[in-house]
Amino acid sequence: MRTLRILRRHRALLNCAPISQDHLADRSMRVAVSRENGSGEFVNQQNFDRAVAELVRLVPIPPESAEWFLDKEVVRGRKWSWRRIVLNPAVLAISIAVVVIAGVFAFQVLGRLNDFPGSGTARKLLTVAGSTRSVMLDPVIAEAGTLSDLFFMKHGLEHYDVPDEFADFQTIGCRVFDDDESQRIAQIWVAEKRMQFFLFPAERDTKTGAVLRFPGWRYVHQEGWVGAVMEHNGVCFMAALKGREKDLAQYLSGPKQ
Amino acid sequence: MSDRKQNLPQLYRFCFLMLGDSRKAQEVFNTTLREAAVRAAQGELPQEPFWLFREARWRCLEASKTDLQPESLEIDEHDIAPQAASQIKQLEPAQLAIWISAAPDPQRTALALFYLDEFNYLEILDIAELKLSTLSRCLAHGRRQLQAWLDAKRSGAANA
Repeated sequence: MRTLRILRRHRALLNCAPISQDHLADRSMRVAVSRENGSGEFVNQQNFDRAVAELVRLVPIPPESAEWFLDKEVVRGRKWSWRRIVLNPAVLAISIAVVVIAGVFAFQVLGRLNDFPGSGTARKLLTVAGSTRSVMLDPVIAEAGTLSDLFFMKHGLEHYDVPDEFADFQTIGCRVFDDDESQRIAQIWVAEKRMQFFLFPAERDTKTGAVLRFPGWRYVHQEGWVGAVMEHNGVCFMAALKGREKDLAQYLSGPKQ
Repeated sequence: MSDRKQNLPQLYRFCFLMLGDSRKAQEVFNTTLREAAVRAAQGELPQEPFWLFREARWRCLEASKTDLQPESLEIDEHDIAPQAASQIKQLEPAQLAIWISAAPDPQRTALALFYLDEFNYLEILDIAELKLSTLSRCLAHGRRQLQAWLDAKRSGAANA
């Protein structure tokens, strides 16, 4: 079957064998022609083709058409200058796309530079903060620092402590809920600047189970909200408000990153 | 663009072989080049090689669409004779062009491009958008049919 195919291709190539030797296009054609060189049938074909080609060369060119030959530049494309290349719509579109992709990539990298253990959960909780309405929380009017006992007594949550910086703030309400990873989250709403506090388990090493600690306060941003997060005793505390970092910075003490 | 890729005398000959009529060939040749000049001025010349031939080919096919079409007959085929070269030498270029232009496409394009002796077979496949097997068939039948026509002409002349 394969031999038949090769023979058929060989025959096809011979039928297309060039009239001039300088048109032997590729190796397969050279091989086909060299194998057949000298055979009577192929010599007849070559003589026939040469005679027809010579006759074609005798086709006279009318003077009206020959005028075109004088101006060889007539159908020659303009040379590409740097300016023309840069202003080419395709090049321009690709350049803009590359700049946008690079910008998005840089934005992502810069965003990741500020990541810390638990930043993913913190961002999700900022989204929760944005969608929470006060009616969703149990009304509790007290100092935020005192809610640690409530969380321990009522929900069995240990070390869900509000840091000293925010312990004196008056609360409006609070609740405890499970997030989509079944982590117990405590949420507190305070009167000050309609700020919200979140307490959630710190991220742990998947292999050893050890808490992944980080020092001081860390900022996260999501949908116009800003959060300041710190870890203590395996629990993260986040103070969140709608605004900018400087709105939160005034409440924080200690190293901020 | 290299001179070979825009060999204008060969482009004219190609039009002549495709149409078999000097006036029509000139018309297609001039239109193709006028269009090319406009595109060149606008900086919109295609980058691909041999586009002039491709353009001219479509114009020739378009121009001959309205012509009287030959009836589809079983055309005689003869083996190529050793004296074929001398038979061909007795022909006029216009006679050959008329014979080629009467062939159905893609055989007409294949014969015209091949006998220009301007392109290798890969370039012909590219310009005419053919497969090797089709080009091979067109050329093989073309030679045998041309031989049969030459033989018929000779016997006709002898009888006369």
